[in-house]
Amino acid sequence: MAKVGVYVCHCGSNIAGVIDVEAVRAFAETLPDVVIARKDLFMCSDSGQEQIKQDIRDGLVDRVVVAACTPRTHEPIFRAACEAGGLNKYLFEMANIRDQASWVHPHDPEGATEKAKLVVASAVGKAKFLQPLEDKFVNVTDAAMVVGGGVGGIFAALELANMGHKTYLVEKEPSIGGIMAMLDKTFPTNDCSACILTPVMVDAAAHPNIEVMTYSEVVGLDGYIGNFTVKVNRKQSYVDWNKCTGCGACAEACPAKAGDEFNQGLNDRPAAYIQFPQAVPKKAVIDMESCINCAGRKIGSEPKVSKKTGQPMLAPCEKACPADAINRSLAHDPAGSIEEVNVGSIVVATGYKVMEKESFKEMAPESPNVVTALQLERIISATGPTGGKLLRPSDNKKPKTINFVSCVGSRDEKHHTHCSRVCCMYMIKQARLIKEKYPDINIYMHFIDVRTAGKDYDEYYTGARKMGINILRGKVGGMEILPDDRVRVLGFDMDQQEPVEIESDLVVLATAIELPKSATTLGQTLGLQFCGSGFFRELHPKLGPVETSTRGLYLAGCCQGPKDIPDTVSQAKGAAAAAAVPLAQGRVKIEPILSEVQPEKCSGCGICVPLCPYNAISLKEWGERPRAEIDITQCKGCGVCTTACPSSAIRLHGYEEDQIMAQIAALTS
Amino acid sequence: MSLKLKKENIDEAVRTIMELGGKGILNCVQCGACSAVCPGVKAGFPVLCRLLIKKLTTGQLEEIIEEPSSWGCQACNRCTEVCPQGVRPQEVVFAFRRYQANEMAISTSTTTSQMNFYETGHAVYTESSKELRKQVGLPEAPPTTVSDAQGLKEIQTLLENSPMGELGFF
Repeated sequence: MAKVGVYVCHCGSNIAGVIDVEAVRAFAETLPDVVIARKDLFMCSDSGQEQIKQDIRDGLVDRVVVAACTPRTHEPIFRAACEAGGLNKYLFEMANIRDQASWVHPHDPEGATEKAKLVVASAVGKAKFLQPLEDKFVNVTDAAMVVGGGVGGIFAALELANMGHKTYLVEKEPSIGGIMAMLDKTFPTNDCSACILTPVMVDAAAHPNIEVMTYSEVVGLDGYIGNFTVKVNRKQSYVDWNKCTGCGACAEACPAKAGDEFNQGLNDRPAAYIQFPQAVPKKAVIDMESCINCAGRKIGSEPKVSKKTGQPMLAPCEKACPADAINRSLAHDPAGSIEEVNVGSIVVATGYKVMEKESFKEMAPESPNVVTALQLERIISATGPTGGKLLRPSDNKKPKTINFVSCVGSRDEKHHTHCSRVCCMYMIKQARLIKEKYPDINIYMHFIDVRTAGKDYDEYYTGARKMGINILRGKVGGMEILPDDRVRVLGFDMDQQEPVEIESDLVVLATAIELPKSATTLGQTLGLQFCGSGFFRELHPKLGPVETSTRGLYLAGCCQGPKDIPDTVSQAKGAAAAAAVPLAQGRVKIEPILSEVQPEKCSGCGICVPLCPYNAISLKEWGERPRAEIDITQCKGCGVCTTACPSSAIRLHGYEEDQIMAQIAALTS
Repeated sequence: MSLKLKKENIDEAVRTIMELGGKGILNCVQCGACSAVCPGVKAGFPVLCRLLIKKLTTGQLEEIIEEPSSWGCQACNRCTEVCPQGVRPQEVVFAFRRYQANEMAISTSTTTSQMNFYETGHAVYTESSKELRKQVGLPEAPPTTVSDAQGLKEIQTLLENSPMGELGFF
């Protein structure tokens, strides 16, 4: 006979504000097999947990039901309390009377109380059939992968590598560095972005524990925490990176043109190119999308022999390369070459993109003098298309009036409702940099409201006002193109309650930060969840900011939500610390809430095999016939096989038939 | 004099506007994009879009009942296009107009147009146009309800049966 103890939590006013906790407690006492029912203001507090432990030690109870908030955050806490009291922790059951009663029925206290009683009855019904289970352990591959080679990924990789773990740093572009490498200066200190980032990029590339895999993309993931197999597509570059010295001769020789991604499409780059001057690794690639096969030198073929000279006719890039590193004879393979990498944990730091101006038809996107803030960043950067001179794109003349427009696509129901968080600061940064260099330029900034919270940030903003930068409170409603490629900005000055019109030579749009399409695909490949804003969802917005719902996968940087460089680096170091835990322990625990086949009942029909979403089931010879077998490292305990098995041969531990039937009986009686 | 904010007034103003069709009023974050593009605001009717919403959400429904700005709305709907919060400011303006009309607090400019409409089928119809038409060789009265008694009667019947007619406007 089970001795069930029920503990009802007030959760402060979270539960007790709606539900009559005493009524639920008194009701629990009347349930069969319940020997004790208590309540506490906070069951998760030390005293609350101690009560459970004491009742177990005193031999009063041998099954524990806690009616409280949510198993998502609190099941581990109460399981641990049971264990500490000397009870198998799987003899614990949680009744969620917060999410399922008090929170969803705040205006119906009586109904919520009745529902809470039912939820408790259901948990008690199950509890008496609970059986002790043992945790299982598997060994861990001592290596980590960081996906994304921006500032977040670089710091996560360095952190893991410095802890002594082999780390693969995967980046889809030819060089690591990400968007930070494109920035001119960084707020609020105005230090040169490349100058602070490049040494770190070099450190990462030179680290004995880091293997940098650039021009590579993750295309597949198998396995589970501790034992992941990641498929990495190493894109074809047609340049032997062992020979390439990064001299750039091929780029100079290449006549093909394509939009320069690094310069935000403001100028063209050749098809053979080095991504940017400080690239790490500094290696050339030939991008087949824009290659024009000069001299009929098609990729994947041997060169034709000249009738005149008898020499092979080579493409300009091949001829120019002093290191003989270019190999155009390689067959073109758009799938690239797939490499399998075994790691124990993965940090995802794939970053962000800014929205293109084309999404905003009211902002005159057809004008070349309307640019995104990231384009302006390239225009004022020494490595940018104008060599750092501030020139407007239409005619390469110095602008006299510049307008900055905030919240373009952010805080907007038509695009993204979230605040992109860094725009106010980077716009002020750009305005200040321009004003410092060219005090004669008129600068107007339009804000819904200025968001510069935190240490040194608001000082940076007030400093901009002191420099004579005009700040107008009010969102820009539209723009009109004027002769001479000027733009009329239709704004509003809230303080004067009047619409304002400013004729402008250059307009800078602070477009929203969003997850790039490639990251969305990657997220689906890795099985990550997405939040309402379209970014990757963390395990818990407060208590699990670097973890995901998949154990062994961690998040850092803007792929989890907009953030600036300091926040990205902090989160990257946090994610690396979390990702190092399983590696450092050498083994990971697997909860025994898993399916198990009873081979003597299994008919070997195989229905379960294709149904399993985790490929955990296979048919194995047992006796004379094939029977299903479940790989516990793959099984996630979803229960699909259990419900589908026609012979009822599969048990899902923790959700056995008698337990579920008892729950149903309690809910329907 | 400072503005006295009262919860009852705010609730009543918001409820009144929402019931009359301005359902998005509480979405407003006072960014001003609507007023930046509003031709009415530019023409000197300040209490449109943003400022109208501000006044309503501070409970000044009765205080601004005689405000003529709302009648400056040209229904171009640019405010709705640029509003980042889905307020649909034009619907708020029209809801406020309905409130004004129900209380017979209609600006004289609008009354004249309404009466013109009832009498001729045109909101704007002036005597001087007759002369102008004659000069270019057209008949004095255009071939609309002005010269079509049957058509005018139909318009008048429609107007009499409209909410404006129910107010005893004609």
